[in-house]
Amino acid sequence: MSPPAQVIDRDLERLEGLWDDGLADAFRAYMRAVTGYATATQPKLALAAALVEVGVRLQGLGGRAAAPPTLLMGDLCLARSSRLLADAAPQSVQVAFARAIEEMSSAAASGRPAPHTRKLLLQAVADD
Amino acid sequence: MIGHRLRFETKHATEFVDITDRLRDLMTSAGLTMGRVHLQSLHTTLGLAVNENEPLLLHDFEALLERLAPTGSGYQHDDFARRLDIAMDEPVNGHAHCRQLLLTGFATLLVEDGELVLGRWQSVFAVELDGPRHREVAVQLDGEFTNKPVGDHRKEGAANLVELELTRQLMVDPEPVALPMRRLVEAGGKRLRPRLVQLTAGIGPRNEPLRAASLAAAVELLHNATLIHDDYVDESTHRRGRPTVAAAEGPERAVAVGDYYFAKATRLIAEIGNGGVTLTIAEALEAICASQIDDVALRGAFPGDHDSYLRVVRGKTAALFAAACASGALLSEAPPEVVDALRRYGVLLGVAFQMADDMVDFSPSSGKPIGLDIRQRVLSLPLIYAAEDRTVGPEVRRLLAGVLDDEAVSRVAELVTSSDALRRVRDEATELVEAAVHELETVELDGLRPTLIGLARSAVDRDS
Repeated sequence: MSPPAQVIDRDLERLEGLWDDGLADAFRAYMRAVTGYATATQPKLALAAALVEVGVRLQGLGGRAAAPPTLLMGDLCLARSSRLLADAAPQSVQVAFARAIEEMSSAAASGRPAPHTRKLLLQAVADD
Repeated sequence: MIGHRLRFETKHATEFVDITDRLRDLMTSAGLTMGRVHLQSLHTTLGLAVNENEPLLLHDFEALLERLAPTGSGYQHDDFARRLDIAMDEPVNGHAHCRQLLLTGFATLLVEDGELVLGRWQSVFAVELDGPRHREVAVQLDGEFTNKPVGDHRKEGAANLVELELTRQLMVDPEPVALPMRRLVEAGGKRLRPRLVQLTAGIGPRNEPLRAASLAAAVELLHNATLIHDDYVDESTHRRGRPTVAAAEGPERAVAVGDYYFAKATRLIAEIGNGGVTLTIAEALEAICASQIDDVALRGAFPGDHDSYLRVVRGKTAALFAAACASGALLSEAPPEVVDALRRYGVLLGVAFQMADDMVDFSPSSGKPIGLDIRQRVLSLPLIYAAEDRTVGPEVRRLLAGVLDDEAVSRVAELVTSSDALRRVRDEATELVEAAVHELETVELDGLRPTLIGLARSAVDRDS
């Protein structure tokens, strides 16, 4: 399945293989949550959220650590998400995304039950 | 007594290279408070002089040297038919040797209260008389030292602000993530990236030291977050003399701590509220992550080649150097041409820094075990050059293709050291630093040019 036209090539560069591995589903779910933003901003925000969701899953955050090459793909997902947010999101959303990752990683480091990733990120996009 | 070598490339046949700031930086970082700095040219066509750095006067000096010992006026030294044992590349340079006789190859400067004793108009020059060439000046610092660097109190204050900010941020974090990061931060590190942020944040009209310290600390946290994941990927057991987070607390904790500080640093940067700064750092982070993937992929073709090396290093190391320089300048609202020049300076400096870092792996005085990069099959320019070497290359390649046990690592290190590889890397790093310095020549930097030049040169001229 190809990414929709709103998602530009640069934003998926090196991560194309993830589209059919959960990224497309997550993207569609977040697209439904960002309708309050400007049309041009919506796909970037939805993709940023989807990349965080897929990225932490790839890394094995809160579970068994991924093998190094997979961890690095997860890192790239988080970095790409951060760049998309810097490009398109209001400051409050950038901060809310960062706080969501802080919460997830802090729980993982403490051995606490992992918070629900999608719920946290949906809250982050709704914060503005 | 501390010994050192100042290394630099000259670009012209005759050139006055002002080394005053480099000497000041050296003296300051060594903590010399009272004593002497001894200099000795290591070449017969490189002189030393103490005089005024005024461009027209330097032209006058050049003209004077030309009048006293004109180029090509029948020096017996240039009559190769009458000389024995001349090298294939022997230059025609009788004039340069004669000019050096008029200068001096030695100088001693006094140091009092942590400052070089120089008159208002005095600068210290290395005088190239037969360039362009790679040059070295031997330096010895002699006298009373403190444990703490002396001199620039403003610099010290700025550095303290970053340390305070780092401490403050690590105090408020949950212990399971803060503790490993605190250990890493307290273990040291050169703090070059925060220093670049702070310096460049003083260039534009909006100079706010607290905001700059906040950005600088966030950049340092981000850098350390990437190191935590790197160490897991590289299977490194130690960093800065201490066990890595992955080695001490397991990969799961390393992933979580790296992610936490990646997120926290990006949040702190976002909270500063400068869109240009946020985007600059985010783009750098993306470049770092992409090049890490390339780096690991290239290990299948270890030790790789020069082009692949540059591509990886531009992302892995230079991207954050460039972003540090550009973001500080953006924060201070410096003009776009200044931001761009600093970004280019940062890229060149970052690549040169990585090359110097690669050389440390072969330095017995670094305090680190020799050959760590070889053992971990990390991309390293000295290894690439040694593998290309006509004499040692075949053995290096054969060893690298096999099992890298202690004996093999030690033999590879020996082959690299015995070859021309380290000199080639040093020359290339020095050229990059000079190119970085060149980027600063055409923009207004509010008096910070000498500091940025000194920082670039000292980043490469190091043993650890």
